Amino acid sequence: MSDHIDGPRSIGDPSIDLTDLFAFISPDNPARTVFAADVFPSAGSSAVFSDAVNHAIVARRVTVAGLGDAAKFQAGAQEIRFDFRFDRLEAQPGSKAGARPVQHGTCTLPGGQTLRFVVNDERGAATPDGVFRVFAGLRSDPFLLAWLVGELKPFQNLLEHDNVLCFLVEFDTQRVLNPGQGSLFGVIAETTPVPKAGSLVGHQVTRFDWVGRTEQTNVRLNNARVKGDDLRDLWNQQTPFAIAPEFAPIFRKRLVDSLHEYDLRDGKEDWSAGQLAASANVFLDDFLLIDVARPTTDTSYLEIEKSTLNGRPHQSGGGRTVNTRDIDILLTWIVNRDREPLQGGATRATKLGLNTFPYLAPPNTELQTVAESVALNAPADKVWALIGPFGAMWHPLIAEIRLTGAGAGQLRTVESIDGKRIIERLDAADHARRQYRYSGVSGMGASNYTGTLEVAPNGEGSSVTWRVQYLSDGQPTIIIRTIVATLQKVGLESLKKRFG
Amino acid sequence: MTQEAEPEVERITATAGDIAAINLESARQRSWNRFWRTPELPGVAELIVEQEQMTAQFIGDLAAFDRLETLANELIRAEPLSARAALIAAQVACSTHRFAQARESLVQAVACGAPADAAERLLLTLDQATGEKLNAVLATRRARAARPDRWDERLPLGALLADLGHFDEADRTYSQALRDYPDVSPFPLASLCFQLGVLWGEVVAQPQAELAARWYRTAIDYLPCYVKARVHLAEIYLDQGRTDDARGLLVPALQSGDPEVSWRLADIAASAGDADEAALHLALARTGFEALVAKHPRAFADHAVEFYLSSGSEPARALELARLNLSNRPTLRAYEQARCAALAAGEADTAANWSADACERWSGIAAFRGSPLAQHFAAADPTPLEHTHVRT
Repeated sequence: MSDHIDGPRSIGDPSIDLTDLFAFISPDNPARTVFAADVFPSAGSSAVFSDAVNHAIVARRVTVAGLGDAAKFQAGAQEIRFDFRFDRLEAQPGSKAGARPVQHGTCTLPGGQTLRFVVNDERGAATPDGVFRVFAGLRSDPFLLAWLVGELKPFQNLLEHDNVLCFLVEFDTQRVLNPGQGSLFGVIAETTPVPKAGSLVGHQVTRFDWVGRTEQTNVRLNNARVKGDDLRDLWNQQTPFAIAPEFAPIFRKRLVDSLHEYDLRDGKEDWSAGQLAASANVFLDDFLLIDVARPTTDTSYLEIEKSTLNGRPHQSGGGRTVNTRDIDILLTWIVNRDREPLQGGATRATKLGLNTFPYLAPPNTELQTVAESVALNAPADKVWALIGPFGAMWHPLIAEIRLTGAGAGQLRTVESIDGKRIIERLDAADHARRQYRYSGVSGMGASNYTGTLEVAPNGEGSSVTWRVQYLSDGQPTIIIRTIVATLQKVGLESLKKRFG
Repeated sequence: MTQEAEPEVERITATAGDIAAINLESARQRSWNRFWRTPELPGVAELIVEQEQMTAQFIGDLAAFDRLETLANELIRAEPLSARAALIAAQVACSTHRFAQARESLVQAVACGAPADAAERLLLTLDQATGEKLNAVLATRRARAARPDRWDERLPLGALLADLGHFDEADRTYSQALRDYPDVSPFPLASLCFQLGVLWGEVVAQPQAELAARWYRTAIDYLPCYVKARVHLAEIYLDQGRTDDARGLLVPALQSGDPEVSWRLADIAASAGDADEAALHLALARTGFEALVAKHPRAFADHAVEFYLSSGSEPARALELARLNLSNRPTLRAYEQARCAALAAGEADTAANWSADACERWSGIAAFRGSPLAQHFAAADPTPLEHTHVRT
């Protein structure tokens, strides 16, 4: 993952775990720049920001200080900083008990001006002069991870349907960054403890997590095929733009070893020793590069670094848009030095990003799972003989089943005793494993409706597991859940009565 | 051992407890959805184990143990020969105190190539829980806790030190862990404060209720939904006659379904002379304990023993469950509890035999000297000892 769950410490509180950083020219208005960062990998639909953490996006002006094997990006000292802090939860005024609470936040802008906003308000909040506009809330995870990176094997998007908590600022490029003094910037995001005034006790760490380019920690520093300690927590505690000199050689060596290992993944050596060392040095200065005087596109990610390493001026704005397929770009570069494009097992994230504020797509609906099981005093084969056929009449709430076709794709039309009609399709049956899978065609008021019925040996008896997953589609989730749970419970209880 | 000074309870900056609880539930549900879609997805099952254990421990949702068993079964179905499936099966068995099964699965996991660190961690947990090779466990725990960036190793080290009777060092270990806390999640902080409450309120030879209460209050301050901390604090309030305060702690925790909440509410109602309400809560507690024991007998036997030895008033049932617990993990505390149950059930010979067994097995550790079992031997007096409340 880009930076998802990137160290032992991050596993403690997912809301401090930075996953991604984006920097791009607004597709809606080329005079405006967007910085966005995400925390909380695989956030559920109710996720909220921690009130104990400062979330920041920081930019510094950068100059190209060397080309080719001497490639170097030198960051300046002055910071352009956006700090996001979040309040404790508040009950919505006049809301009923159990209603979802609301969370407010404050963004401190460069120069100290503050901007209040409401989390999950898609309109965000803007300064009166319109220079700044901010948003924070749950969004569809724009990151596409369609690789088993360890094996370099294309795979389905591992983050399909995932959500993240996003904090984002869009601003007038000219007035905030003054590109006339240099249009190349390095950007990072970080989470740090909120200092407590007058406290005698406190955190030993000054920073929980930070992120620059995609996959510094999980792919480059923590390459599973390179032996050595897990350096991710140590890396996360470094100061962005200023890696501690005593640790720099450790990180540099790991990067060289790791990049060399990636280079050899396809059996061909595309990188010389000098090029590998130069690439490691560039990655060691871990900030996301964006040239705000040039266009950013879905394919311009890493172009600035690549051109510089190749000894020529960059052509694009670099940056990273929300629809960038950055793992494909990164792997192609480090495995074969752009000799041959590598492509993962999916070509887009769950939802494409938007061209307008707030740029990240709305959150994905949570896939609902309802599962029930029962232990029976009968051998698995005997139970399967009763319930295994797709058209078997064993459920007390079912009045009639009509089958159409045979094998995978077979349809069953189920008439319930209260007159409802449900049509389901058999997706796969494995009688040796006593299992079949089916999907809903109509009648349940839900989409992506799939079910699994399975009988497994359990000591001298057996256990039956019936699992259904769906996305609500028209009806409230609770209603569908109640219908499904009732179907499961009544059906499995009838088996208990029959088999003991 | 006494601690006269006020404990350091200045609150470390942490995510608000309600936010942390919402995010735990949010992440837990999301993890399950990811797991159902792709059980073999790296890291997801492991994350669910952690999230469900936290849900059981901090939210008091004991159905988490059922879900963990589903997880282990599903993973074994999906990857019958994998090290991670065996390791997770071992972790799940351990969490419901099926220690023998956990050891079998752990052996299988190691044979399949499970990561050495994770395997050692689980083996330590198993040995500590069952009272096996404690000196070796202590040495390894000390070494692991001394490693940089292994803050989380300090909690089990503190618990082991407390079990062995090294109370000062346990206190120092917990207190140092509080000072060094590197995160903002309130869960570990609440757990630490809870452990300090247990140490001062229940484990030391001369419990200090006020000190324990302060730590339990701090735990609840970090995490208002922390059911166990509420129950323990309510017990102290109840002993002090502060029934309204105790009730105020327990009523919000009723929705967790933890039978200990109903049990203590029954005690409160009884102390207020409300027999009907006491009977109602007692019935709920009894049903709750029996349901838990039916599903996870080894995990909840010791809790149910405590109930049946006191408000539950069924010494025979207590003895039956104490015997099960002792056979599963012959720790000093299990012996203490079993002996009390045997005496309460009128089985003096059984109690004497267990006392002798305990002396042979545990007289070498410092904690034994403060144990009722040691007092029994020192007095060489066959008079049954009063039941000592033993929290396990």
